[in-house]
Amino acid sequence: MQVERQSQHPVQSATSPGPPLASSSRWRRLNAWAEHLAGSVFILPAVLVVLFLAIFPLIISLYLSLSRFKFVKGGFEIKFAGLANYRKLLVGSQQSRFLGVLAPPSPAGWLVFGIVVVLLLLSLVRYVRSGSLSIGGLFGRLVSSAVVSLGAWLLVRTLSAGGRPGTLVVTWIYVFVGIAVQYLLGLGLALLTTQRLPGRRFFRVIFLLPMMITPVGIAYTFRMLTDTDKGPFQPIWQALGLGLYSWVNDPWGARVAVMIGDIWQWAPFLFIVLLAALESISVEQIEAALVDGANRWQIFWHISVPAILPVSTTLILIRMIEAFKIVDLPNVLTNGGPGTATESLTLHAFMTWRALDLGGSAAIAYSLLFVVTVLGMSYVNLVRSRVTEG
Amino acid sequence: MNAIRTLFRRKSLFGPSPIGMMCSYLVLGIWTVVVLFPLYWLLVTSFKLPVDVNTGPFYLPFVDFKPSLHAWQYILVGDLSNDTIRPYINTVIVALTSSSLSLLLGTAAAYGLTRFVYRPRLGAILTFIGCVALAIVAINLGAPWQIAIIAGIALFILLLQTIGRRFKRALGNSDIAFWLISQRMLPPVAVVLPIYILFQRLHLLDTRTALIITYLAVTLPIVVWLMRDYFQTIPVELEECAAIDGASRYRTFWSIVLPLSVPGLVATFLFVLVFAWNEYLLALFLSGADAQTLPLTVAAQNATRGPQWWYMSVLILIMIVPVIAIAIALERYIARGLLVGAVKG
Amino acid sequence: MKSRIWMIVTLLVVVAMLAACAPTTVTVTVQVPVKETVEVPVEVEKEVEVVVTPTPEAKPFEGVEVNVLTFTGPQIAEPLQRRAPDFQALTGAKVNVTIVPFSDLYQKIVTDMATGTNAFDAFVFAPQWMVDYIVPGYLEDLTDRVAADPAIQWGDIAPFFRDFSATYGGRIYTIPLDGDFHMVYYRTDLLEQEGMNPPETWEEYVEIARFFHSKDLNGDGDPDYGSCISKKRNAQAYWFIYSIGSAFIQSQGTSQGVFFNTETMEPLVNNEAFAAALDVYKETTKYGPPDELNLDVGDTRSLFVAGRCALSMDWGDIGTLAIDPTTSVMQDKVGAVILPGSARVLDWATGTLVDCDETTCPYATNGVNHAPFAAYGGWSGGINAGAAPEVKDAAYAFFSYMAQPAQSNVDVTIGKTGFNPYRTSQFLNRQAWVEAGMSPKAAADYLGAIEGSLASPDMVLDLRIPQNQRYQQIVLDTAISQFLAGEITREECMQQIYDGWEEITDELGRDSQLEAYRGTLGVTR
Repeated sequence: MQVERQSQHPVQSATSPGPPLASSSRWRRLNAWAEHLAGSVFILPAVLVVLFLAIFPLIISLYLSLSRFKFVKGGFEIKFAGLANYRKLLVGSQQSRFLGVLAPPSPAGWLVFGIVVVLLLLSLVRYVRSGSLSIGGLFGRLVSSAVVSLGAWLLVRTLSAGGRPGTLVVTWIYVFVGIAVQYLLGLGLALLTTQRLPGRRFFRVIFLLPMMITPVGIAYTFRMLTDTDKGPFQPIWQALGLGLYSWVNDPWGARVAVMIGDIWQWAPFLFIVLLAALESISVEQIEAALVDGANRWQIFWHISVPAILPVSTTLILIRMIEAFKIVDLPNVLTNGGPGTATESLTLHAFMTWRALDLGGSAAIAYSLLFVVTVLGMSYVNLVRSRVTEG
Repeated sequence: MNAIRTLFRRKSLFGPSPIGMMCSYLVLGIWTVVVLFPLYWLLVTSFKLPVDVNTGPFYLPFVDFKPSLHAWQYILVGDLSNDTIRPYINTVIVALTSSSLSLLLGTAAAYGLTRFVYRPRLGAILTFIGCVALAIVAINLGAPWQIAIIAGIALFILLLQTIGRRFKRALGNSDIAFWLISQRMLPPVAVVLPIYILFQRLHLLDTRTALIITYLAVTLPIVVWLMRDYFQTIPVELEECAAIDGASRYRTFWSIVLPLSVPGLVATFLFVLVFAWNEYLLALFLSGADAQTLPLTVAAQNATRGPQWWYMSVLILIMIVPVIAIAIALERYIARGLLVGAVKG
Repeated sequence: MKSRIWMIVTLLVVVAMLAACAPTTVTVTVQVPVKETVEVPVEVEKEVEVVVTPTPEAKPFEGVEVNVLTFTGPQIAEPLQRRAPDFQALTGAKVNVTIVPFSDLYQKIVTDMATGTNAFDAFVFAPQWMVDYIVPGYLEDLTDRVAADPAIQWGDIAPFFRDFSATYGGRIYTIPLDGDFHMVYYRTDLLEQEGMNPPETWEEYVEIARFFHSKDLNGDGDPDYGSCISKKRNAQAYWFIYSIGSAFIQSQGTSQGVFFNTETMEPLVNNEAFAAALDVYKETTKYGPPDELNLDVGDTRSLFVAGRCALSMDWGDIGTLAIDPTTSVMQDKVGAVILPGSARVLDWATGTLVDCDETTCPYATNGVNHAPFAAYGGWSGGINAGAAPEVKDAAYAFFSYMAQPAQSNVDVTIGKTGFNPYRTSQFLNRQAWVEAGMSPKAAADYLGAIEGSLASPDMVLDLRIPQNQRYQQIVLDTAISQFLAGEITREECMQQIYDGWEEITDELGRDSQLEAYRGTLGVTR
């Protein structure tokens, strides 16, 4: 795996000079020194750039989330308010918009929740029994288990009859359902275009198109397309007898419309990355497997899947992090309506920010950050490490 | 019977059987229509008069409605032309520069993360953050920023030698990688104002430089994560051979590793380019009159009269033309066969 | 040793980066306090007379550059850009118009001034936003300049815009360029055919809508709609609810206000009047397009001028849109009328509706109380208090130039400019409108409706207290949207608005909010 060791802050100095040739010794020493620093040279520029733009905004926005913004004579004031913004989100006036309206869970809901809790307990037990137990690791797993089970409880209670999902739950729906469909679609298309079909280059370029349109433009395009009154699908809609109905009046219809736009837009991203991964599989491997008598399915399962699995997990992680920030489509298609049915977390934060409630907006953003971090870390620890190790 | 069997037999290693070919074409054809139909609709809308758009769906120019060039004229030649050319140039420059730089730095970092072991000490990191925070406070209290930065760095070096040494606990590669991707988790709306203030203090507002730096920082995590996985598929033996032959790390990276990961590079470059090309919120805040980019012009077509679909369609269409051209040019590099002979050699 | 080398490298890299980002030009903005001694621009008089015969030597602002920020047009931005060269020829001041997306204009202005960037010297924005800029002292007080400027013909501007919309706490802060308020539009041909009169009350409105719903109104064979009103979330719904409700709530003149109790700052939403308004708003959904919940005002007005609706509600745009052949097939079939009123109004003490008589409805016509709602306020020009003095003078001169009758009366007849009439003199010359394409009857109708609204002493001022966006866009709009979607009941809706508004008022300070609210209404105690 790793080729050589190189520490950031070595305590001892160990530069081996080159062969003692008088004329080129300095050149060799320079070379060796550059070689020694290679590790830092590779990673430092990127880290420094990200650091430069990361620290300041993070600290400021964290402080904003704990304060209240107000215009006063002479300018504005940012007054420290403690956890007031978070309290408003979780138990105060914004609760029904953020978390949703909770209703008693249905039997199916109880079942789902039970399964989730059992799985989490099993994984905790397995971790404790395994050899590599540590306090930090145990604490981390307890926190993420607690968060995941709370999330499942919220999901179950708001999606049952009488409940209404808030922006947090709606965002989860967008993310999980959207990514599942996008991944399968992208994988299917990549597999098809990796074959030696005449005209496959045409398809590959065409399939990239949705990704290249600016998200705001896509949102407006879909607003045109989903208009069942003057849009292109009006005849079909009328023919189905739905002329008097509109998807905008039904919360789930509106959510589906948003998800269709999202899937259309992002399937190309997964398509191109998976395609590159599939194209990186060496021909010799497959030839050798064929010679050994493997059939197509075995080749797919034993060669292709392991080859694309690391990239897939990264891809899903990246896509998940981006999907949580979905804002353009709900904003343009329905502005979060009907009611609050299609409002995502980022849209909630955006609307709050537009009304100059900077503290409230930062609080929502940090809640999103918390959820994504917990999910991301759990995902990385559970899935990626198992996939990429070895 | 034999004829049916030939239908299912594959023609070559990667070529499908005739049945497979038909099914593939069917599915691919359906998805092509799904992809192209919205674009067709945009094209048709750009030729419509407002009254045509509002009175119901018209599909075919000359058959259903009379096409008109008013939108194209307005955007490219008429009133808005000044506000189309300049954003267009800005978009091209900002997107190409930031994605090239991002690819360069990100690939280097990804290579570093897969081939080296980093152990940044926790103490060092905490002192660094502490000194940066102190510098920020000093700047906000009125000290000139050059002095504050230099003082911060000096303090950092000092503390590093003393306190930083005492904490032995260190982070690893995966922690650095996770930190990088965690930069993407916070929605831009929370950081837009602090970034605005940051660039305002640096007097870089309304410049392309500010946009390039911001896009660079924002896209680096993605480049690093994507390229990490592509690099992990490249066998280490190649580089060991090269090292034995006397090549330096840089040489190995440039001449051996990079050419082998061209498909991944191209895919990542396309994604990052598209991101910078289409980004809206940060561009809105960091730009004023000079550095405006095209997505702002597109969104601006939703004015008080309601969305002006015809202008918007024109803008969206002219926005995607250069990106498609680049995609066509680069698509051939996402091709199998670049690895042939590499391992054996 | 090695660690030291590494540290020096980091140091060098960091310093190099900072040096690269070093400012090449340092812009110094002069921060001037709000209440300063204003120089009276005597040159303005000279320059206005010069409108007819330009004299080349009168160039008082030679070399001055004014940066104006507004949103992407062509509405509002186009006339500014078109007249800027003329202004430069007259005064030597160069006016640069920067445009940003409409939905983000407010943020851009606030950020520019609050962070001290001051990249822009003047703005064309909605007066409803002005209180957020005045309280911190960002907006320049223009009272003295206006007083010394006879060319602007301040008295010609309709009283509402002159006395309420452009002022705060008795001082003038903006120059009106446009008049904004809601009216109801109807299909003259359809109503004439059925012998109906344009609706005077909201009950009549609903009746007419019910009658025409599902009939074919534009001859294309498909059923059309009775009434098209925007109900989309976070669009304009929070204004339209008050267009309906104002007639129920306000009857004693503009200074009464419709949003809060002027004694206690209690929201006026938990009463029969607001309930009646909610009922009407929801009722019209039954007679509208199936996706009306997702239509914003751009969609509804397009539908109306395409002939798909019998009734609609809008600002002045439908009038000018209807005569444009590229947008409308309803030329000469569109009529406008003052916002329907109510024969029963709110009794503030009891929260119930009482019948109209001389005391409860002093301004009623035919026993119906009308309260036209000046939603949004009408695009106006304001000046950044942090700009340099001569730039401020030049900016004022530019806005004065735009607002003067010679320019303004022409611009309001052109639909593309987005400027709607707001000066009394603009109604006297009907010929200009006929030349623009309106039939004499349509012009009389449209202008008559505007005149009637402007002349009404019971016109309703939009909410202009600090952070009004939170009251309207976050609390009111969300509750209305949820009510229309059926997520909450009418009582829950009113209670939710009440609680939400009280929470914001308490957070920001009840006394200061009350003072601000009374200040905008011109109420002094």
